[in-house]
Amino acid sequence: MACSVSGAWKWSDAMSLLELQKISKHFGGLQVVSNLSFSVEPGEILSLIGPNGAGKSTVLNLITGLYQPDEGNIQFNNQSLLGREIHQITRLGIARTFQNLRLFLNMSVIENVMSAAYSRTHANLFEIILRTPSFRREEERIRQMAEEKLAFFGERLKGYRLDQPAYSLSYANRRRLEIARAMMTEPKLLLLDEPAAGMNPNESLEVTELIGQLRDEAGLTIILIEHDMTVVGGISDRVIALDHGVKIAEGTFDQVATDENVVEAYLGRREPGK
Amino acid sequence: MSKDKIGKDEWVASYQQRSTAGSEGWRGTLARITTLLPTWAWFALIIAIGVAIPLLTSNNFAIRVAGNIALMAILAMGLNLVVGYAGLLDLGFIAFYGIGGYIYAYLSSDFTGIHLPTLVTLVIVIVIGALFGLLLGSPSLRLFGDYLAIVTLGFGQIFVQLMTSLTRVNIPGQERPVNLTGGPNGIVNLDSFSIFGFTASTVTDYYYVLLVFMVIILLVVYHLNNSRLGRAWRSLREDELAADAMGMPTRRLKLLAFALGAAIAGLSGALFASWQGAVFPGNFDIALLINVYAIIVLGGLGSLPGVILGSIVMVAIPEVLRNVELAGLLFYLLIIVTLIATLKPRWRSAALFVAVIVFGLILKPILTTISPESFTTLEATGSGFVNLVRGWLAIPIDARAVGNLAFLALVLIILLVTRLKDSRVQFIALIPTLYLLSFVWETRLSQEPSVTRLLFVGVLLIVLMIYRPNGLLGQRRVEVV
Repeated sequence: MACSVSGAWKWSDAMSLLELQKISKHFGGLQVVSNLSFSVEPGEILSLIGPNGAGKSTVLNLITGLYQPDEGNIQFNNQSLLGREIHQITRLGIARTFQNLRLFLNMSVIENVMSAAYSRTHANLFEIILRTPSFRREEERIRQMAEEKLAFFGERLKGYRLDQPAYSLSYANRRRLEIARAMMTEPKLLLLDEPAAGMNPNESLEVTELIGQLRDEAGLTIILIEHDMTVVGGISDRVIALDHGVKIAEGTFDQVATDENVVEAYLGRREPGK
Repeated sequence: MSKDKIGKDEWVASYQQRSTAGSEGWRGTLARITTLLPTWAWFALIIAIGVAIPLLTSNNFAIRVAGNIALMAILAMGLNLVVGYAGLLDLGFIAFYGIGGYIYAYLSSDFTGIHLPTLVTLVIVIVIGALFGLLLGSPSLRLFGDYLAIVTLGFGQIFVQLMTSLTRVNIPGQERPVNLTGGPNGIVNLDSFSIFGFTASTVTDYYYVLLVFMVIILLVVYHLNNSRLGRAWRSLREDELAADAMGMPTRRLKLLAFALGAAIAGLSGALFASWQGAVFPGNFDIALLINVYAIIVLGGLGSLPGVILGSIVMVAIPEVLRNVELAGLLFYLLIIVTLIATLKPRWRSAALFVAVIVFGLILKPILTTISPESFTTLEATGSGFVNLVRGWLAIPIDARAVGNLAFLALVLIILLVTRLKDSRVQFIALIPTLYLLSFVWETRLSQEPSVTRLLFVGVLLIVLMIYRPNGLLGQRRVEVV
């Protein structure tokens, strides 16, 4: 099952792709995540929402191995992620983008994407130095693959753009490039940390469509952190609301958006009688 | 490619084209020249020039300088891999160069009585160099930036100290203390470089050996840079966490960079040892480290053509400056060019030169009439221009002492003049300053070429870093946007 192609997940409802089991994490005296459990089904788009400081990004960092949980277990594809290094987790098939954009700014656009193929390529030192045919074939293959990933975003990241440094891109294009880079690691599960932050309404709409395409065409499972509720509402199969590291609501977007606890977490308690 | 659908940040995206290829002045010209030929053609051109040098000149000194350039280029390419690509600030790099040199010495001299074929020695040097790279790299992996620099700097110093002091070591089973390194006197009378039946004996032979190795290493590093490894190293330099999250094993990649850099350094050390025919601890001191860093910073971190250009500049300029007359001409030329470039409007520089000449012509008769016994003349040199300047200056009898004072005064005055806000006052103040500058040059600086060379290189680096912070051929870098 572990090696099956992504399409096969559709008929294995019984098994979750990712499962967080009673995860807790604290920094000093601050409990950031406490006793959090949820699972992600294959092919699903799950949104994490909650006010600033609710622990959403920490959950992503726990899944990708940047932090180790104090308690609990994380299962991906029936394997525990605990104790694994960041790049090993990526290799297993979890990729992410960052809230504050962490591109390789002084590298070209295409190199940013190609670099992420590292764990899926095999050329060794001698093949590289001697530039053997197998090395050149591999290089050609990942270049084509990178161009395909970038072509996902239409005409924006094509042609002469490919060889320009990443710092020359606009903010929205940098977000797109980061998604393309994450896809280059050939993930099964994609974690998007505020992909629509800093985008105008049109671009947010486009991101919404894009996330749907990623699921439908690339067969990805997606966990999304987003503050823009039009994006969350437009695309999520399921929404989990966090506050102070605790899950306060779970369900469809409409259920969660009208949930009393959620409204309270965002807006504060309604005083009785008013 | 259709460009009509490209998003609205066209302006930002075309920044670099506008700023280099399309721009006016020498930078634009340079950018246009570099795009004239494809990469491989430039590469072939460099090799062709390199091969032609000994055919054009029979001057052994010139060929020796060219050989030194090739040697420094090999060493700097290794450092460029560690610092320029992987972003690891390794200040112990010269130790690997030294290790390479000493291993060659051990395996090809009467000091140990071992005389291995050069090819075998080189393979051993590369392997042991890489191992030492791993050895130093593994404890350093947890250190970032400055801390890594300090620890590795210590390693470099320890190496020199050990090679100097391990002359009387008590080894179990040996009655007397054993001399392991030859101490400050080093290891001498090494075997010549000899490979595939070819034995290098003349300067030209060694030059070609070094050139061949430079080309090989250039190819190796170029290939590495344009591969998954090179991209991973540069990703690591840009953002280690993101690189890790994109599936790159950061620790293994850093170790690999350390090891490969050390192997290249070891190889160049062995080549150096075979050329010099001896190794001494003093060959591997911190001055060389500074020199190699200057090469890669000057050329532009992470740029291979930059490394070659940096080696040429950093090796050739000090050699050219050995010639006092040439140094003098260069000095005056540099001042004139700087003034023309910085003084606006342009007529000002012409006016300034006239004013300075008139100032000197008036000052000398006045001083010599006031007290004729305290002035003398400097002896003439071969160059007409320098003789003119020397005749124009008023030279006191005790030129040495006055020159020293004048040097101090000059530094202070230059500091003051650059602080002046009013451009007219500054213009007038520049007249005596320039006079003093030529006075200091003729009485002191041209007399102390070794100091002057260092000053020259220092000034060159400072000026370059102000006007071109990314080095001569470096790419523009953005840290945070």
